Amino acid sequence: MTFHVDTSTGKTLGIVDLSGRLDAANSSDLLKTFAQWQQQTNLFIFNCAKLDLIDSSGLGAIVSCLRKALERNGELKLSGLSPKVSMVFELTKASKLFSIFPDTGSAIQSF
Amino acid sequence: MKTLIIVKEKDYDWLRPIFPGIHPLLVPICNKPFIEFLIDFAILAGSDALRLVSDGPLSDVEEYCDNGIRWGIPISYGSFLSSDDMELIMEKNHRYCSGERILSMNGFLFIKYDKQHAYRELFAARPEGEILSCSKGSLSLTGTSGETTSCDETLPLSLLELDSLDVYYRLSMEILSFSESPYVIPGYSIEPYCHIGRNVVISKSAEIIKPVIIGNNVQIMAGSIIGPEAVIGSNVIIDRESTVKRSIVFENTYIGEHLEVQNRIAAGNILIEPESGISITMDDPHLLTGIKSSRSTERLIQSLVHRVLALLIITVQLVPFLLLWPILKIQGRWKKSINSYYTNEEGKTLLLTTTAIERKGAISLVAAALSLDRFSLLFSVLSGRLAIIGSGPIAANADKSAAFHEMESWYKAAVFSYAEAEEWPVSGSEKAIVERYFAVHGNPLLDIAMTIKAFLNLIHEIPAP
Amino acid sequence: MIINEKVVNNITTINLWGTLDASTAPTLRNFKSDAQPASPIVINMADVDFLDSSGLGALVGFAKEKRGAGGDVLLACMNNKVRKVFEITQVYRLFAIYDDVEAATLNAEKKQTSL
Repeated sequence: MTFHVDTSTGKTLGIVDLSGRLDAANSSDLLKTFAQWQQQTNLFIFNCAKLDLIDSSGLGAIVSCLRKALERNGELKLSGLSPKVSMVFELTKASKLFSIFPDTGSAIQSF
Repeated sequence: MKTLIIVKEKDYDWLRPIFPGIHPLLVPICNKPFIEFLIDFAILAGSDALRLVSDGPLSDVEEYCDNGIRWGIPISYGSFLSSDDMELIMEKNHRYCSGERILSMNGFLFIKYDKQHAYRELFAARPEGEILSCSKGSLSLTGTSGETTSCDETLPLSLLELDSLDVYYRLSMEILSFSESPYVIPGYSIEPYCHIGRNVVISKSAEIIKPVIIGNNVQIMAGSIIGPEAVIGSNVIIDRESTVKRSIVFENTYIGEHLEVQNRIAAGNILIEPESGISITMDDPHLLTGIKSSRSTERLIQSLVHRVLALLIITVQLVPFLLLWPILKIQGRWKKSINSYYTNEEGKTLLLTTTAIERKGAISLVAAALSLDRFSLLFSVLSGRLAIIGSGPIAANADKSAAFHEMESWYKAAVFSYAEAEEWPVSGSEKAIVERYFAVHGNPLLDIAMTIKAFLNLIHEIPAP
Repeated sequence: MIINEKVVNNITTINLWGTLDASTAPTLRNFKSDAQPASPIVINMADVDFLDSSGLGALVGFAKEKRGAGGDVLLACMNNKVRKVFEITQVYRLFAIYDDVEAATLNAEKKQTSL
């Protein structure tokens, strides 16, 4: 995963590019690193375009990140979900918790 | 009248990768294997015998339908070659067809009928010829019955080409929509739009919304909502607070807690969106898994026997190995390579160190004759990762994967192969023949005999120069 | 295993009688037919009550030789046990299989005349 800040809309947005798998093996890393990113901003976009697979731990981690962002009056939106990853979000009803955008561009515009 | 059902592999092959391990003719439609709908119709139409022929494998179907005693109609089976035309197929079944009126169901088609109609009389009055046809098949009559009259009436029947998952899904949903089903659906129907099997445990706080079809041995836990428009197979567990709506859940499936299955097909750990065909395989047991039925004692005895055999061979080989291996190592004739091979477990591969002995000089010939190159593999048998006798392990290469999937059900990665035991050619398609044979006819005693045979054969093998 | 060869309508039919297993397979393997090498022949399996992997091997080997010489082997009248062995081993894909000897002979004739 990579992190960079986008200020094109005048707001400081944290864009996280997730790739590969997000599962039991690396979801705790995401949570730890998220805490560090929160020092820079509270508005996030998780770009899932390169995310192949996610399981319940991975989803749990993303939902925890959402909660942490909301606790500080921030937001976390998702973009670029592949059909397969979308299916997992829909199955677990996690799709109801997030604003989901087809690509990072539209997500940025929505803030 | 007799029925001849002709099914071509190319018409049903699309289903194989979607529901692996299930023969397309046995794929359940509203909890009833597809072939049963055809059998029901054949009987309804007045047949007193049925023959199923295909250019693809039918052993699973034959195992399920057996000789037809369950339906009170004798069922026989046959095969033809993919290149055969209808005429040739009829000739290959000449004895079955001669002197009889034959109803041919040609194609991988679902026949839409209504069990209330008097098809027997309608078919008896019908002259020879094609009754219905579509691009992928037809229903026709050959031969005359005593009472044929000319008939322009269209029969209350239609054909549905089963050529995509979407068609399958919509057919299932359509069958659910009938208050009184035109087909015989398994389960007790206490009220319209509802079929429920035996031993179905529904928690007090769970809700069932019609129309639903539920199989046998199903558990629906607290707070779950099943339906509307749900088909649940047998041996299914729907865990708490989950909903299954407008979906099909295949048998032996576990659906986890707090999940929403809507507009989906769940088969074991595979979740599919029918309209697009997108399918995901879940690795997470909290979400979706297959519930495996066990043939445990059989497998236990077999693995025990294999381990004992491995141990025996290790004892026989130990001394020669300790003596000859160092010498061959120094001579540089002991070649090790590490490769990944397919194992018996779905989709898993195994890293094995295989050894080749360069046959030069007396010592290497003795070592090869004693199968010392297999010595290290024997330990994998002890740990249960390999069988002692089965199919030669197949390297997991990308190009071989297509061929492998075809063989999956009977493949048993092993140290020695049945082909070696039987002195069959050890490569190519003929190897597959003998391995398939023993996969079905194998038993622990036979395996013992075969392993010894293989070991002895290799001793007598004259190595190529 | 008894092997009996007959010629009907210019087509050689080989009738097999008994079991085709490890002990009898060599009989078939070593059998020399009087038919022309490049001709199609029919093997009548009606009286073969049992077949195992060696028997199968002999049959496949026999057919291979025949086909190599430009001929062919058609099979007729397999009983259920034998047919199931062909099924699980997928050897049914290698042969034209008929449920009637006359139909097989007729088709063999058609093949012969078209050559």
